[in-house]
Amino acid sequence: MTLAIENLSKRYGSSAVFSQVSLQVAPGEFVAIVGESGVGKSTLLNCMAGLDSWDTGNVRLMGQDLGALNDDQRALLRRQHVGFVFQAFHVLPHLDVAQNVGLPLLLLGTHDDDKVNAMLDAVGLSGLGARLPQQLSGGQLQRVAIARALVHRPALLLADEPTGNLDPTTAAKVMDALVLQTRQHGASLVLVTHSEAAANRADRVVYLRAEGMV
Amino acid sequence: MLLSLLRQFSWRELIHHPWRNAAAVVAVMLGVALAFSVHLINASALSEFSQATRSVNGQSDLELRAVQGSFDEAVFARVANHPLVAVASPVLELSSYAVLNAAGSAPSRVALKIIGLDALVAASVSPALLPLADAGADRLALFSPGYVFLNASALAALPSASKTPFKLQSGLKLLDVTSAGRVSAGGAPLAVMDIAAAQELFDKRGQLSRIDIRFQPGASVAATRQAFIASLQLPAGITAAEPGDAADRVSNLSRAYRVNLTVLALVALFTGAFLVFSVLSLSVAKRAQQFALLAVLGLTGRQRLAVVLAESAALGGVGSVLGVALGTALAALALRLLGGDLGGGYFAGVAPPLQFSALAALTYGALGMAAAIVGGWWPARAAQKLPPAQTLKGLGAAPSAGQGHWMSLLLIAAGVLLAAAPPVFGIPLAAYASVALLLLGGITALPWLIALLYDRLSPWVAHRLLPLLAVERARRVRASAAVAVSGVVASLSLAVALTVMVASFRDSVTHWLDVVLPADLYMRTAAASTTGAGGETVFFSPDFVAAMAQVKGIERLSTLRTTALLLDASQPAVALVARDIGEPGRTLPLVGEAVALPDGHPEYVAIYVSEAMVDLYGAQLGHVFAPLATSLNPLNPLNPLNLLNLNNKTPQAGVLHARPAIESGVNLKLSRTPAPQFYVAGIWRDYARQFGAIAIDKADFERLTGDQRVNDLALWLQPDAVATDVEQAVRSAADRQAGAGGLIEFASSRQIRAVSLKIFDRSFAVTYWLQGVAIAIGLFGVAASFSAQVLSRRKEFGLLAHLGLTRRQILSLVAAEGMAWTLIGSIAGLGLGLAISLVLVHVVNPQSFHWTMDMVLPHARLLALCAAVVAAGTLTAWLAGRAAAGRDAVLAVKEDW
Repeated sequence: MTLAIENLSKRYGSSAVFSQVSLQVAPGEFVAIVGESGVGKSTLLNCMAGLDSWDTGNVRLMGQDLGALNDDQRALLRRQHVGFVFQAFHVLPHLDVAQNVGLPLLLLGTHDDDKVNAMLDAVGLSGLGARLPQQLSGGQLQRVAIARALVHRPALLLADEPTGNLDPTTAAKVMDALVLQTRQHGASLVLVTHSEAAANRADRVVYLRAEGMV
Repeated sequence: MLLSLLRQFSWRELIHHPWRNAAAVVAVMLGVALAFSVHLINASALSEFSQATRSVNGQSDLELRAVQGSFDEAVFARVANHPLVAVASPVLELSSYAVLNAAGSAPSRVALKIIGLDALVAASVSPALLPLADAGADRLALFSPGYVFLNASALAALPSASKTPFKLQSGLKLLDVTSAGRVSAGGAPLAVMDIAAAQELFDKRGQLSRIDIRFQPGASVAATRQAFIASLQLPAGITAAEPGDAADRVSNLSRAYRVNLTVLALVALFTGAFLVFSVLSLSVAKRAQQFALLAVLGLTGRQRLAVVLAESAALGGVGSVLGVALGTALAALALRLLGGDLGGGYFAGVAPPLQFSALAALTYGALGMAAAIVGGWWPARAAQKLPPAQTLKGLGAAPSAGQGHWMSLLLIAAGVLLAAAPPVFGIPLAAYASVALLLLGGITALPWLIALLYDRLSPWVAHRLLPLLAVERARRVRASAAVAVSGVVASLSLAVALTVMVASFRDSVTHWLDVVLPADLYMRTAAASTTGAGGETVFFSPDFVAAMAQVKGIERLSTLRTTALLLDASQPAVALVARDIGEPGRTLPLVGEAVALPDGHPEYVAIYVSEAMVDLYGAQLGHVFAPLATSLNPLNPLNPLNLLNLNNKTPQAGVLHARPAIESGVNLKLSRTPAPQFYVAGIWRDYARQFGAIAIDKADFERLTGDQRVNDLALWLQPDAVATDVEQAVRSAADRQAGAGGLIEFASSRQIRAVSLKIFDRSFAVTYWLQGVAIAIGLFGVAASFSAQVLSRRKEFGLLAHLGLTRRQILSLVAAEGMAWTLIGSIAGLGLGLAISLVLVHVVNPQSFHWTMDMVLPHARLLALCAAVVAAGTLTAWLAGRAAAGRDAVLAVKEDW
């Protein structure tokens, strides 16, 4: 399994965020997580990446128990095997498009301009590598984020409402690019979304509620 | 609306970060307090000093003064009988010592000014000097040689004088006097006595120092002055001085020092402005999204600017009010504890009351406000210009494009031009403006410098993550980087400039001391002022010097005679130093080479002038210096050599040399000698006298004046002699000669050198503190800027954590950025500081104090200073980044989930 979550529970003080959540994601599988606002979808994604703690249960990423790793070991695991796409794009404003996309490769010490350019071509941003983020539209920025998330060929892509800030037409195009690239790279995709259209493209849709995953 | 915004929006920010805002208030307060207290102390001391000078000098319409020492009282009759003159008051003014416990080996001495006057006419001209006899005192004491009348400070310094007789020093003789009453004149210790008594007591028969003149009522002083002076046909050696000249002299004496001190104090205010800038930059960055939201809700850019400016004005206002209060208290305390002297020695002995000035308080308060508003201007502009939509998204403003650097170059060019401008009223105002423009030009050129350096560095770090992120951020947001390091640039450049200036000055003073202190031991009997004001009364006689040459252990000795010359009534006196010059290149600290006297001019006498003489009196190397010819007293009655100038064959215009011969009872006819012309054969550096000195060979001086008195003796000891034994032998010989062994002071050249350098270091200690404070404030600016950056980049750091950067790597990134930014700040600060040091060394110092120095670069200290700033900047950034790398920041991205 790429990702295996067993009986995961988290509380903030006396209130439970989620309880007894279990989920397994197979290699290449596309899982959509839907649920009402405030049920802890974002927190669950953080836990999957080892960015947040939990109270009970365990999370295994690429066979490794995240609970047994320290912060640095989790960061190294994340660096190698995980890609992120956020609702608000999150690109570094002082780096150009190509530099933003190449960041994961730099982190891994395997920087390759050809790989970066190929990724830009793949997401439809050919020739825009030298532009700065402020010069791009929202749809283009999200494509930059997708390219960055996949350029180092991670096993797992975590995406949070990647089309939440886009108009329907652009959202559909971005979703096409995201799914296509993820499939082509053979990565698993966990998508948190409120969009029924986006969820319908998943292999599996799970509902997160306070009492657990359905 | 502005008020309600300040109340609800700004006030919350203020109380949320009380310490940060308090730091800005305290910085402004300290800047205003320091500058205002320096102003109050100087103004109070100057006022007191001027008042004391007025009370001593009287309320005359005109005064005739001796250029050097004294003049023949024969002039008095002509003046007093002149139809325009209502009152003429003759005065003999001497500097001496009141000696207590004269029987002991180390008697205590109090410097005392002796004023001899005619009480019958002085009442209307110098009422403050009118003697008031004590009850029961002899009514004729006013005219008796042995009685003096003391002012308040003299009575305070000589508490036993009102009951028991004490002694006054004349040469190495001690004269018995008794206090018979007091005078109301303020200022330094002063004793008044009858002029004839003073002339007799101090062996100054027939001599006057000055004549105070009141014109007839109704006579137009301005119109008649020139005609009156011309009609007197004053002989050489007497100058006419305006009533305001004495006050001008006092003001001129200390003006450069006061201005430099004030500028130094204003540097503190400048750093205060930087703190306001840093605090408000941080505050605006932190509230960027709140400002953006307010903008979306309808607050215009101009209103956002007004809000931040109002915040800075509020900080400045509170700081200024507190600063004025603290400055007043500091000044009152300093006047009480230290008197009016702040270390320059110009107002030593003056203990003035505080003279508060509401206008000055308002001015300095306004300066504090202005500094705060200037400091708040850039953050206010940032608030005005922020793009609301981008800011709400957390993207901030678009990276700044390369800015034109023409304005910076223009500012720097204007700074260079101003550095070449002459002083204004003796103050290097243009040079200070030059420093300010260089600083401003340098700081505004920072974005250009950053682009210049990091655009070239960028390709080299393209494939290394942390350097890439650090360099790219610095070059893409170069305006922010420039703002962040501007504090470091400003403080480091000031620190570098002061370090270079002080090191250059110290090195030059050290070399100067090597030349001016060639002997093993120095002795004197008066701590005479450097201009020789006391040297007329307290001196060694030729016989005494001859006896000293025979003392066992002394291989050879040389003499120094210092006498004061009033070449310009509105300027402090010039020192005329007569000594063995021999080979001037070896015996004088010459600037450049000496020139030989031209052939065919037997009337030429070589003189060597200090640099101040060039600036203040236009003396030129290789030219005759005319003012000295008319100033050196050729009719000195002590001049026995005049007797030898008989039957001179040169019948050209010259000086009558008759009186000494007549006084000596020798049957001589009037003779004419060629008037001496004083030829400037060299220019030397004099760090002891700011207002000019002229060195003349002892033989020439004695030949021209007949004055063989000596003020200082330089002793070369025999190889096996012990200094303390020689001192004892000299004291014994002095006791045998004049019973004055206890009146002699000794100092070895090593002691003088050590004391001189100690005084130097103490005088400049304040600059080290100032450097420390400036750099601390610069680093505070970096810390505040980095905190602001970090706060606005929490999501960025969160993203990097998501991508797999460890906490250590994020901290390293922030530290690397700190290093990249402070490194460029250090390079700029070093370059700018060196440029400013050139202005300080070659313009400000010569224009302020009329001496030059050799530029010395203390390489190791400068590099250590820069390295320390880079290290401290890196550490500061690292500390600021710790919050950014915390779990909360890592999860900042979550805000969107």
